[in-house]
Amino acid sequence: MSASHGGAPAPAQFPPPVDPQGEFIKHGLDPEDDLIEVGVAIVGGGTAGLSCANRLLQLLADDEELLESLGEVPVAVIEKAKTCGGHNLSGAVMRPGALQELFPDVTREDWRAEGFAFGAVCDEAVYLMPSATKAVKIPTPPPFKNHGNEVISVAAMARYQQRLAEEAGAYVLTETAATQLIVEDGAVVGVRSGDKGRGKDGQPLRNFEPGTDVKAKCTVLAEGCWGHLTGAAIREFGLAEGREPQVWELGVKEVWRVPKPLDRLIHTIGPWPLKLKAKYGQIGGTWLYPMKDSKTGDDLVSIGFVIDLEYADATTSAHDLLQQFKLHPLVREILAGGERVSWGAKALPAGGWWSMPKLTMPGALLVGDSAGMVDTVALKGVHHSVLSGKLAAEAIYASLKRGDAVASVEGYEAAVNDSSIGQELYEVRNTRQPFQKGFLRGGPLVNLMIMTKGRFPGGRRKWHRNDAKPMFIGDTKNGYPKPDGTYTFDKLSSVYITGNATRDDAPNHIRVRKRVPREVAETWAWMCPAGVYEIPDEAPSHGPVDVIVNYTNCVQCGAITAKGGRLTTPEGGDGPLYRNL
Amino acid sequence: MSGILAYALHYEGAFNKNSLGGVSEAARLAEQAGCVAHAVVIGDVSDELAATLGHYGVTKVFRAKDAPEGLAQPVVDVMAKVMDDNGHDYALFGGGLLGFEIGAGLAARLNAGVTMEVTQVNVVDGKLTAERPIHGDSSISTSSYKDRGIIIGRLNAFETAVPGESAAEVEDVTVELSEASQRLKMVTRGEQRGADVDIEGAKILVAGGRGLGKPEGFELCEALAEALGGAVAATRAVVDAGWYPYSTQIGQTGKTVSPKLYLAAGISGAIQHKVGFQSSENIVAINKDSNAPIFEYSDLGIVGDLNKILPKLTEAVKAKKG
Repeated sequence: MSASHGGAPAPAQFPPPVDPQGEFIKHGLDPEDDLIEVGVAIVGGGTAGLSCANRLLQLLADDEELLESLGEVPVAVIEKAKTCGGHNLSGAVMRPGALQELFPDVTREDWRAEGFAFGAVCDEAVYLMPSATKAVKIPTPPPFKNHGNEVISVAAMARYQQRLAEEAGAYVLTETAATQLIVEDGAVVGVRSGDKGRGKDGQPLRNFEPGTDVKAKCTVLAEGCWGHLTGAAIREFGLAEGREPQVWELGVKEVWRVPKPLDRLIHTIGPWPLKLKAKYGQIGGTWLYPMKDSKTGDDLVSIGFVIDLEYADATTSAHDLLQQFKLHPLVREILAGGERVSWGAKALPAGGWWSMPKLTMPGALLVGDSAGMVDTVALKGVHHSVLSGKLAAEAIYASLKRGDAVASVEGYEAAVNDSSIGQELYEVRNTRQPFQKGFLRGGPLVNLMIMTKGRFPGGRRKWHRNDAKPMFIGDTKNGYPKPDGTYTFDKLSSVYITGNATRDDAPNHIRVRKRVPREVAETWAWMCPAGVYEIPDEAPSHGPVDVIVNYTNCVQCGAITAKGGRLTTPEGGDGPLYRNL
Repeated sequence: MSGILAYALHYEGAFNKNSLGGVSEAARLAEQAGCVAHAVVIGDVSDELAATLGHYGVTKVFRAKDAPEGLAQPVVDVMAKVMDDNGHDYALFGGGLLGFEIGAGLAARLNAGVTMEVTQVNVVDGKLTAERPIHGDSSISTSSYKDRGIIIGRLNAFETAVPGESAAEVEDVTVELSEASQRLKMVTRGEQRGADVDIEGAKILVAGGRGLGKPEGFELCEALAEALGGAVAATRAVVDAGWYPYSTQIGQTGKTVSPKLYLAAGISGAIQHKVGFQSSENIVAINKDSNAPIFEYSDLGIVGDLNKILPKLTEAVKAKKG
């Protein structure tokens, strides 16, 4: 395992101490008296999960007989945050069609009045950033065109969808983590909720409440980026066979209240503040979106930095790169005189078409980010999540209607592939892979693919696993500003405003290997936007390091899973409480 | 409005510091709103001790001699009766877990509004409104009350007034305890987490962080605290690492303190820790990293090696005290 000689170490050489199949798959249900029985169990109350719940309830509303046959709880949504949306974050500029189709009677004006939409895009601009002071406006590449799309907050949208779902009869269990997938006779039969009230060493405290088996006719895995149970399901049912590995990006976002409204939607595609040299392996970009809060009249700006987790310089930190990016005159002008009102971070799946796992297994299916439905060329996934939830609901309804003994939802995969999700993701199936060779070498090929809508050069382009990338300790960190506490911030101040106050004596929910090379330890410490990983002062500058894991800072972004660790579900209710991200 | 009733907790012949803050706040608000401020005490309180609440501005003290002190339910019974008989519109508590419990019970009993963890109370059109930080203290929520209101302060939120001369009138009240109250009995009374030091009450705190380097580093803090006549506190990082007990943890998920002197040794000063001591009167920081955020809100900062500075400081303090 020692990688100190014979080349730079890669995080994959130091896998976390975790046995996903043994720990996260439960074989067989508890006895009838000890379990909760529901019709359909949806794991995750985010965009896709709640779209699925709402569509299902729409269909069941017109089918009283079937609704009654599902018992007291026809649809249950299991959400680990304090409220739906509490852990949801996206840019986000959304193509409106899918949501309009899901709720035909609700107008875009209604969305804005509900506080989750912030206006249609009129003007837009894309900039190259050659340096810390220069910005060059370029013609908007076709995938970046956003005219008519809506700027939204997925955290706020989830709250809205939660309310609709509850009004329609869904049972939403917030502050509840789903920790095990229950499999019986080769089919998913439900999930188990997590224990609450355990101490640091796992011992039950006085307020201990054990988890419960939730038995369901069909289970929907809507866990978002690299879901805890999704990963276990993919392995258990071989859903990734013949697919490319999933790859990831990490986004860090802030919302600012600004004195004057931003007049356009902005994307920048670097290279500054990233390094152009291929050895750094850095590909990323930024956004600045105007948000008009029609409830308060406030002018807000969503600003964020996204980086591929394929990078090689261990000192790459999305949090600090965002702070650095804010120093650019283009950004200063927009945020000047403003105030940061929120912050958050989230990883997202970036592999696209070739990395999408098989979407169904007996008794269960995958929707939204769990299924990897993000188009990282157009920088969009919210509309795919909404639509996939809707299509999943329709397939589940058909199965319930047929009275399948084990829900057979295979039609869902074909429906996804035939829909705009399949079409859009297929078109860009090969577009991003060349960037794994670097921005300069990959750039021309990417452009060619965009121009030909993916027809040329065709074929299937491979992805390289993020955690297999050898890491080196570079100098990206030298560009990060010293936080001033008003315009630029340190990680802990950022975590603070997420409202994260995880119980100090909770068990550690993060698995990382002890005694890792300095390169790997630094990768974790810099990458984590919440300051979870810390290198002890007395650690040797070469040789093995035991990182300190401040797991109570964790905002559950999931990036660690892409770079050699493993995020598992903490106690339900822990973590941040995002509002308008 | 006709009055504010503040609860004054006592233990071993002295009133609780937070209760005195609550009593002072009630008097201050009553003066502003043009109404009366009274206090209530439970159990064995001498006439002299009860009357000293007048020093903090209340004019009358209701005393329920026969009710047991330290339990929530009997206090709910007493306060509900006193408020009903005398027409108080608001009950005020200085802070602490007992206040939360009594306040919640009282709100249910009186069908009144209740706000906890209040950091400021204002008089608006002759009525009280309470401000409460929410979302990890990033926003403030303001409560007003349709009818009667129960306001429970955050620990140390209300400042104790400089004691005056006037004594309060003491009126004994007899309250028939509810069945629920009679079922309760005080068995023992002690500090919640087995702490033997009163971190929240200490006038001087020497706090240690990860910069101490090792658990033994706390010996330097203990020596200085002893010389200064103060107590030792800690950050979450070192409590997490098992260097010092949880009962001494200051910050967002620990205790909130406001001593006269907070000496931070080897503490970087992350906001999660800062919120626990930011209302200290004087903040002194020792850290080897001149970029540490703590220096931005210290009254006095020393950049250097605490292994050298702390022992010298201890010696100097001892020498000065003789």
